[in-house]
Amino acid sequence: MGKYLVKRLLHGAVSIIIVVGLVMVMIYSLMERDRIFAADPMYTKVASNQKTVYMYSKWEEYGYLDYVNYTDYMAEITRNGEITEETRSAAVSIARTPEKDSETVAKYVAQFTEYYESQGYTVERLNAKTSGRKLVNGGQQQLFAHKDHPLIRRMWNYFTGLLDIDNIHKVEEDIGERGLTFTWKDPVYGGDKFAPAIIGNGTHHKYLLYVNDQFPFIHQNFATINLGTSYSVNRGVDVFTTMTSSQGSYVKSPITFPTGFQEDSADDLHTATYQAGSREANPVSADRFVDDYTNVLTVKAGLSKVGYSFVIGIIATCMAYLLGLPLGVMMARKKDKLIDKLGTVYIVFIIAVPSLAYIFLFKAIGGSVFGLPTTFDMESTSKLMFVLPIVSLALPSVANLMKWLRRYMVDQMNSDYVKFARSGGLSEGEIFTGHILKNAAIPIVHGIPGAVLGAMTGAIITERVYVVPGAGNLLTEAINKYDNGVIVGVTLFYALLTVVSIILGDILMATVDPRISFSTKDR
Amino acid sequence: MDHDLKNLGKSEKELFSFHAHSDLESEKITAPRYSYWQSVFRVFFRNKLNIVILSILALLIAFAYIYPMVTEYDRFGQLFDTSAKHLYPWKAIEKFGFSIHWLLGTGASGNSTFDAIWTGSRISISLAFICAAINMTVGVIMGAIWGFSKKVDIIMMEIYNIIANVPYILLISVMVMLIGAGFWTFVMALTITGWLSIAYFIRTQVVIIRDREYNLASRCLGTSTIKIAMKNILPFMTSVIVTLLATEIPSYISYEVFLAYIGMGMSDMSLGRMIFEAESAMVTPGWEFEFWSPVAISAIISVVLYVVGQNLGDASDPRTHM
Repeated sequence: MGKYLVKRLLHGAVSIIIVVGLVMVMIYSLMERDRIFAADPMYTKVASNQKTVYMYSKWEEYGYLDYVNYTDYMAEITRNGEITEETRSAAVSIARTPEKDSETVAKYVAQFTEYYESQGYTVERLNAKTSGRKLVNGGQQQLFAHKDHPLIRRMWNYFTGLLDIDNIHKVEEDIGERGLTFTWKDPVYGGDKFAPAIIGNGTHHKYLLYVNDQFPFIHQNFATINLGTSYSVNRGVDVFTTMTSSQGSYVKSPITFPTGFQEDSADDLHTATYQAGSREANPVSADRFVDDYTNVLTVKAGLSKVGYSFVIGIIATCMAYLLGLPLGVMMARKKDKLIDKLGTVYIVFIIAVPSLAYIFLFKAIGGSVFGLPTTFDMESTSKLMFVLPIVSLALPSVANLMKWLRRYMVDQMNSDYVKFARSGGLSEGEIFTGHILKNAAIPIVHGIPGAVLGAMTGAIITERVYVVPGAGNLLTEAINKYDNGVIVGVTLFYALLTVVSIILGDILMATVDPRISFSTKDR
Repeated sequence: MDHDLKNLGKSEKELFSFHAHSDLESEKITAPRYSYWQSVFRVFFRNKLNIVILSILALLIAFAYIYPMVTEYDRFGQLFDTSAKHLYPWKAIEKFGFSIHWLLGTGASGNSTFDAIWTGSRISISLAFICAAINMTVGVIMGAIWGFSKKVDIIMMEIYNIIANVPYILLISVMVMLIGAGFWTFVMALTITGWLSIAYFIRTQVVIIRDREYNLASRCLGTSTIKIAMKNILPFMTSVIVTLLATEIPSYISYEVFLAYIGMGMSDMSLGRMIFEAESAMVTPGWEFEFWSPVAISAIISVVLYVVGQNLGDASDPRTHM
């Protein structure tokens, strides 16, 4: 069994890698790059050479290519100490055409070109666009190099960056003595309450281990999952954080900052990460923090995207099994009677009517007949708003379960073992619950892990119709906004859930039914 | 015995006549004449409900294909007549006089909702039929090969595991971006991977029947694989295929509606796009008709197609032909 599982997991991992590769090909190579500018107001403002440069810098941000500007290159080699500040200022401004370049400029331009071309970049020089002697709008001369990410390297970078291990050499800037300190008294709680914590200096996160009153109580930041950075959906934030961080209004509580400054704030000091030069740039940070670990997340009242989806999905799944299984059994027992026919009508309705249509129907009935809230409001404390999304998700699953359980039970009803049990004098009730249901439930059991894990991905239509701030719409939103990082991250998340839930389903099935075995000899 | 013979008025000798032995005749097996498809339709039409549903389907298809042809539907014909917008049917009839166009009131640009839903139905039904035809043909053929060959099975299982994990919405949006949001783009987007799930279903069915004793016997007697597939397995699966078709066709209508609703719909005015554009009308008092009409018609079309398909599937199972 163990060997078989390892093989299955490896197969799953390979399929996930190929899926991510396919998705990367689709979004980075097949989709037109110009599309990201469709809704960009800046794009219409810039003109001429500046537009070209703007496009390349945007493409770099969206992850299409590597882009290096001549000015940035000069600044970089100055920082390395290759050239002095004077040389830089003499060489940095290129002339309108290559012929007019001064000797120093020409030398460094040649060096720039040679360096980047040797690395496979394309170096482009755009001459100044002039009308008469004056430059046209945005027509300044430009020199830059760019290179498309090849697929293999893009995938390698993505998968190696998935798990980010924090270490004391993470911060590049000079930060003083690097190291980890362990304390029994966490300074966030005032320094006299018992609360163990590991605090780092030089690491990306300040708190690498801490305890608080939130589930699962002990938190770590040594290893963080990095599914890819969002660009337009939730700017600069990792997809995993976008999915799992809380939403809604701020929850403020009195907080004493490291400088002793006291304020009602929603900041969660445990989430502090390093942001270079932030105290110099921002007096608000300087008032509150003693070091540059100033970038904190905030505490919000609502659940996360995945949280909302999961709460709705898991209750709907439980309801579906609690209702669907007894109804399916009832339909099979009273085959061809009234209840079976009514059930069949309901199943036909759910299968045949477009899902959008019946969700709207549930919404209309729930809103007008039962007076339930039809839109989701994170600020509201009423739990009633959960009712309609849950019902809309559960009712189709009920039909599905009824359909299959009835089918499996009816198929079992004519088996020899049932006839034998009947001839042995067992009552119909005993036969149904003790024999037929046990056998018919095996394929049903296989779907349970999928239903539970699938609850995390959310439901697209239901969440849209009831305005639930869940994870279901993340993918469509990302596609509409050309947020490549989110598309790849979400795809990976979905694929992982599918693979894991199929394997878990097989394990569960083998546990329930001793006849099923996955070891190679018995198969 | 004597008694009977006397009644017939014949002697015992006359009751029998000599018949020469024929090798050819002795090989024949006499059975009642049985034509498969004739029996399918006999069983199908025996249920009077099927005739009713089939006539509703014929009516729907006639309306969807003939009605837009004989009436000129101009969506923006009355764009500038502000008093013609969002009217209840009775108000529209009062305003324009009674005509079939105003049975469901008017829409956002003063257009006739009745005309709009049939134009939309034509596109949605065409999409469903074309996609189902392509996917079923490719799916059944590929599924049969997939089920028969163990080598193909290993490769196809891996492909299936991969393709099934690529988000469908992403695939469609990429297609739409590459070749535009026209009708044929959608056909392509829905069929490029759509056949795979059908092929997988058929593969499972083929694997179940492939190694049955009668096929084994057939193979031992030297029947070619193609003949086994065509004569032994395909007839066995006709009812499965028809039942599958019954769920496939409505699913494309449902899918088209879903895609339009999330903003990735066709550029043509299909039912899905109508629902998407009229979404705000659901909650606006007085505008309900323009939202619920396309919803209702898509539901009716799907249910009718599904029921016809299911019952045809039942009828095509030879066990019901007794």
